[in-house]
Amino acid sequence: MKLTVNGTDFDVDVAEEMPLLWVLRDTLGMTGTKYGCGIAQCGACTVHVDGIAVRSCQLAVGDVDGDITTIEGLGSAEALHAVQTAWIEHQVAQCGYCQGGQIMQAVSFLNLVPDPDEEAIDAAMSGNLCRCGTYPRIRAAVKAAARSLNGA
Amino acid sequence: MRLGFAICLLPGMALAQQVTVSPEDGLAAWDRIFEVVSHPRCSNCHTGPSDRPMWSGPSYGQTRVHGMNVRAGESRIGAEYIPCRTCHVTAENARNETPHAAPQVADAWRLAPVEAHWFGQSSETICEQLRDPERNGDRTAEELAEHLDHDVILHWAWTPGGTREPAPYSLEIHIRDLRIWGNAGQPCATD
Repeated sequence: MKLTVNGTDFDVDVAEEMPLLWVLRDTLGMTGTKYGCGIAQCGACTVHVDGIAVRSCQLAVGDVDGDITTIEGLGSAEALHAVQTAWIEHQVAQCGYCQGGQIMQAVSFLNLVPDPDEEAIDAAMSGNLCRCGTYPRIRAAVKAAARSLNGA
Repeated sequence: MRLGFAICLLPGMALAQQVTVSPEDGLAAWDRIFEVVSHPRCSNCHTGPSDRPMWSGPSYGQTRVHGMNVRAGESRIGAEYIPCRTCHVTAENARNETPHAAPQVADAWRLAPVEAHWFGQSSETICEQLRDPERNGDRTAEELAEHLDHDVILHWAWTPGGTREPAPYSLEIHIRDLRIWGNAGQPCATD
C-alpha cells in the first residue's frame, strides 16, 4: 500500500483496516504522533490529510485518500512553523504529550479560519484534551500564530 | 376526488401519479415515519437553528449537547471551527464497531440543513415541514424517498454500530412508508 507522509512516498505492507496511527508509529517509526484514547475523544493522534486535521486512530490506512502530514513534517528545527514558534514563545507545553496533536489541530484550524476570535479558537481546540491544563496558553498561542501568519 | 385532493396539497407531484392510498393509511405511514425522524439516530443531527449536534438516546444517558464544544457553523460541516470529519472520518469501508468511538460513513459527516429542524419537534410540525418544498429541499415525496435511497449518511441510522440503538423499522420500510405517505397526498394530522 502506498502512502505519502511528509512529502516522502512509502510502500507499507499492512492490513487495510489498521489505523493510520499504528502505521505511522509502529511501521514507519514516526512516534511524534501520540496514542491517547483510541476513540477520537482526546485529539493526541491528530495528523493532516491534505491539510485537514484527522484523528489518525480513527482512520483506517486503507481509507487514506490524500497526502499525510505529521508533527515531524510540519517544520524543521531550522524553520519552525509559525504555530510551533508561537507555542515556544508562549511556553505552552508542560508534559508535552498532547502538544503535537494540539499543534496539528491549530495549524489545520488556521488554514481554514485565518483570523479567528476567541470563541472560534475555543470551539476548534476543545476536542484536544490537555491533562496539564495548558488551555489558556494554547488560546494565546493560536492568537499569536494567527497574527504572525497574517503578517501583523 | 382523491386525485384532486392530492394535487391541491402537492403541486410538485406528478399529475400522472395514481393516488391509491387512503388518507388513513397515509397517516399511519406518517406515524411510522415520525418514529424514525424523531429517533436520536436522526434527530440528534437535525437541530435546526442550533449548530450544536445533540447527544440523546439510550446509549447517551442524560440528553445533552455534543461534547467537546462542537459547533457545525453555518457550513453545517464544522468548517468554521473543527470539521466534523476530523473525528467522524470519511471512510469507504466505514467501521463502527467500537462503542463510544466517533461514527463514520463514506461521506462527509455533517448536520442537516437549518430548515430540517426535527430535534424536539412535534409530529405535526415535522409533517408540515417535510411536505413543504420551501423547507424540504424542494422535493416531492418520491424525491424524498430517492434522497433516502442515495444518501449514505442516512443509511447509517439503521447500522450505527457500537452500543448505539438503530432507528426503528428499516431503511427499506422507511422508504416504502414515504412512498405510501406521498401516494396518499402527504397527509398530516393538522389537515
